[in-house]
Amino acid sequence: MSDTVQKVGIISCSGEEIPEGTISRLATRRVLELLRPDATVTLCLPLFLAGNEAERDFARTHPTITVDGCAKQCAKWGTEQHSGPVSAALVVTDILGEPCTACHRSSRDRGQADKEAVWAVAERIAAEVDMVLAQSMPAGMAATATDGASCACSSPLPGGTITVNGATVTIAGLPLIFEQCAEQGVPADAYGRQALLDVVKIYHSIPSDEESAYREAILAAYQQFRREL
Amino acid sequence: MTAFDEHTVLVIPCSGIGKVHGLISREATYLVTDELAPEQAKTQCLALLVKGDAEAVAAVQSHRCITIDGCPKACACKNVELAGGMVVKAVRVVDAFKTHRGAQPGSASGLTNDGWAIAREIAETVATEVANQTGREVAS
Repeated sequence: MSDTVQKVGIISCSGEEIPEGTISRLATRRVLELLRPDATVTLCLPLFLAGNEAERDFARTHPTITVDGCAKQCAKWGTEQHSGPVSAALVVTDILGEPCTACHRSSRDRGQADKEAVWAVAERIAAEVDMVLAQSMPAGMAATATDGASCACSSPLPGGTITVNGATVTIAGLPLIFEQCAEQGVPADAYGRQALLDVVKIYHSIPSDEESAYREAILAAYQQFRREL
Repeated sequence: MTAFDEHTVLVIPCSGIGKVHGLISREATYLVTDELAPEQAKTQCLALLVKGDAEAVAAVQSHRCITIDGCPKACACKNVELAGGMVVKAVRVVDAFKTHRGAQPGSASGLTNDGWAIAREIAETVATEVANQTGREVAS
């Protein structure tokens, strides 16, 4: 392992037959787009298994986390077969603790159970990313990826913009943050103002002396988001 | 794997995770297997097939297969053929985009109305092929 900060590869099973495959895939995307956009990339499992050397080489030289829908663990098997041991191997049913009987394969049918399952798995993947990075980085180094390794799959979502004290500020994944807040019933009024700020602060650094201005700007953007739902 | 009879057509998407094309291939597959031709078509995990799972390999060898690939690398088609399966039709999402210039289909995480329209168009093409292969009408 090099002493530069690494990106972590996340390989999700495709799992077309089962809802857990869809959860695995969506949770992986959520980590890439929202939770750890600067520290992760994904690899296309079928392409990887089919023998794409660029993808296999990445998995050989970078820490890799596999996320499988079921105990057959195709992603883990394939990665270890072609690129060596993985840093962590997650299985959706293990994370959720039970079969996903209320979840669906197609996003057309997505309901509350699907959304909660995706969030739970995504947060677990993000935690594993943090652990892998902590183990692979020199002590004290910040967890931002700087080695230049990337692929087109890993581009973070365009951020949403808000206006704070007259300046336009971009917040990565703001629409997804708002979507999550809406799902959790955070009101688009003064009662939800602090909750919104608290969630955004997880993903975006906000100076303490600007919290008040951010609070109002985020609320205004959230109200606009809810109006467009 | 879900049990199905010998006449069932297997619809196998690439499910590429990097771009919207893979999601369209996946959702088009579910439109066929869950809505348009649920009695005549089923899907199967591509990764399980590539892994060499005996049951998955036997399934593609004993059923007609339609593959839906997101990109020209055609992982689904190539891997079904490598496993000894018979691909009766190979669909490419990128080709469908040629008649949807300027469409904003969404992302690898979710489809917009444009994306769903493309997915449905592909699904209807596939369902028609399923009907041709099985001799049984499908929903429209």
